Amino acid sequence: MSSLKPSLLLGNLILLFTLIVSACAPATTVTSTATPVPPTVSSSETPPSVHTSPIELTFWNYWDGKNGETIQALIDEYNTSHPEVKIKNVFIGWDELLPKLQTAVAGGNKPDIAAVDLVWMPKLAKTGAIVPLNDYIRASKVNLDDFYPSQLAVDRYDDQIFGMPVSTNNLELFYNKDLFKAAGLDPNMPPKTWDELFQIAKQCANPARGIVGMELYTEPGEGLTWQFQVYLWQSGGEFLSKDLNSAAFNSPAGEKALRFWVDLIKEGGYQISSWGLFGQGKSCMVMDGSWMVGIWAESAPFDWGTALMPYPTDGQPATNMGGEHVIIFHTDEVRQKAAWDFVNWLTSTETQVKWDMATGFMPIRDTVASSPEYLLWLEKTEPRLKPFVEGQKYAHNRPPVPNYPEISDAFSREIERALIGEVSVKDALQTAETAVNALLQK
Amino acid sequence: MNLRIRTHPYRRDEVSTALIALLPAIIVFGVFNIIPLGYTAYLSLLKWDGFSIERQFVGFQNFLELLSSTYLWNSLKATIYYTLGVIGLSLPFGLLVAILLNSGLKGQVAFRTLYFLPVVTSTVAASMVWKLMLDPGSGYINVILREIGFSPPAWLRDTHWAMPAVILLGVWKRIGFNMVIYLAGLQSIPREYYEAARVDGATSLAQIRYITIPLLAPTTALLIVMAMIDSFLLFDQVFVLTGGGPAGATDVIGFLLYRYAFRYFDLGKASAIAWIMFIFIASVTLIQWRLSRFGTKEIA
Repeated sequence: MSSLKPSLLLGNLILLFTLIVSACAPATTVTSTATPVPPTVSSSETPPSVHTSPIELTFWNYWDGKNGETIQALIDEYNTSHPEVKIKNVFIGWDELLPKLQTAVAGGNKPDIAAVDLVWMPKLAKTGAIVPLNDYIRASKVNLDDFYPSQLAVDRYDDQIFGMPVSTNNLELFYNKDLFKAAGLDPNMPPKTWDELFQIAKQCANPARGIVGMELYTEPGEGLTWQFQVYLWQSGGEFLSKDLNSAAFNSPAGEKALRFWVDLIKEGGYQISSWGLFGQGKSCMVMDGSWMVGIWAESAPFDWGTALMPYPTDGQPATNMGGEHVIIFHTDEVRQKAAWDFVNWLTSTETQVKWDMATGFMPIRDTVASSPEYLLWLEKTEPRLKPFVEGQKYAHNRPPVPNYPEISDAFSREIERALIGEVSVKDALQTAETAVNALLQK
Repeated sequence: MNLRIRTHPYRRDEVSTALIALLPAIIVFGVFNIIPLGYTAYLSLLKWDGFSIERQFVGFQNFLELLSSTYLWNSLKATIYYTLGVIGLSLPFGLLVAILLNSGLKGQVAFRTLYFLPVVTSTVAASMVWKLMLDPGSGYINVILREIGFSPPAWLRDTHWAMPAVILLGVWKRIGFNMVIYLAGLQSIPREYYEAARVDGATSLAQIRYITIPLLAPTTALLIVMAMIDSFLLFDQVFVLTGGGPAGATDVIGFLLYRYAFRYFDLGKASAIAWIMFIFIASVTLIQWRLSRFGTKEIA
């Protein structure tokens, strides 16, 4: 028995060791897509001043496809022209990035730089884990006035700037020219007003063939909220009050917007279904993002065009914007400075023009939107992006409150009731207001 | 084979050998079960988003806020609805299929495989197919129903029909599992009971009623507990099929927990929900255990 024990113990230890190793191994391989990522050296172990080899900085982002290829190319370019720094590009999916950052910050192997969804900015800014950039911005003489103010709004917290916009997109109208023709409509005359949109949607819908006129986002969640906000702003409404302390959508403008959706459904312009009909050629029109221009240019088996999103005759043009902002995590002064130099280079007009032309992202700063090189490219290669570039000046911003995701879910949950005909427009707005206010008072 | 049951106590070196042999299991269980359990209990008393350096201790405020919010109660109601639906349908159907397969039908093996297939199908993949089939406008189910003259509901987008549709998928996935366990149970019932009953002139229905069902009671109790625990943890079907909608009709507690943890980054509330779930499941299981007097049922 006693001779058995040591070997049993040893066997167990080996077993445990393999278990632990195999449990840990996937974690490191998952975060690295193409190249393995060396563990980020924690700041306490390396003396900050001695850097004989290039400083290695990790950059987490969720850009894939064409966007992923482009960022890799830009990083390669940067690494070649800056031999003292080596940026490591790490792809992490959108739905995983925030949870991964969460565990990385707690566990101590956080990245140096990350590109995050602008909706997360207010939450991240107040964590204390990311570096305020004001001093760097001042030292590098960055002209902040060149950036669109609605973009920078989400980066501001406590009078400081915690991130830099790097890419953006917005929502405008797409329409299916083939379906327009089939319904006897002029394929070169997209609607300009809500009334025209309504009429065309009704005329173009073909329930027998499963075709809807204007696709709406009616499933609960942020998809519904951010689409609805456009209609709300177009009718002159606001989502939250100016001081961000209470809901502001329960107004005549909110009622007008929601009634427009409900009427579209009632009158046959749309039939409740899962999102994604337009891409399958089953919807005449849809309001969708500028990123779809590149995707549908390659994949849509029908002829389509784009236009500025129609708005009410007594209203105003508006759109909602998304996009990514780059942030820098607290490490040591040398690494942070190196990270800033990269961020500053990435958000410069020169890099941004290349970035936008390769990816189809919208300009984040005026000098990009008005650059002759960019305008020429737009005209020549993808004129269907023009309504989006034009719409950029009407782009609003989702309210920068830290618990926005929760507010958005609560809002969409009540609004959906009106869309499926469970409650009236007024009641839905009323209950949504109560729910949102309860969340804002916390 | 002759098994002797030992009556003398274990020797000391036997105990230590046993401990060493069990060590990996104990460590793994501790690391992956006990420590997280304790950690969630600690987290449930905090207001913390998972990032911030500052963790605010709030006592039982998370629990109080949850218990006074309509969301938690709505989720509990939806979860219980789902659980009862799945247990109420998947057990009788599982038993029925097991009895049919046990009665020496032709093509037994093929049927057994067919019924077990949903169990090993990826839930997410299956849910996506169901979602396509149940689409109110272009889904096959409604296309066919309209073709034969019905005006079908919007299924997953209708507050009354969404949960039955989710339950249907749950039942579809569970029948096969129940069937296999019931089959094992059926095969352990001695043939003599049925022969004796036949001699006494009992019909097949009476045989099922008076022999099969009572003798399968321990199996049934086990299946109910397992189905209950699984149903309480429901998440993936809802995530794919409905996103908790319409208007919260399928917002089960597992999905509520997910939202608090990974969308709202309120780890305190998410952990509190986890503990409420834990306490609820534990107490219902205990009550059930008592009521069914697990495995001790004797045949009169």
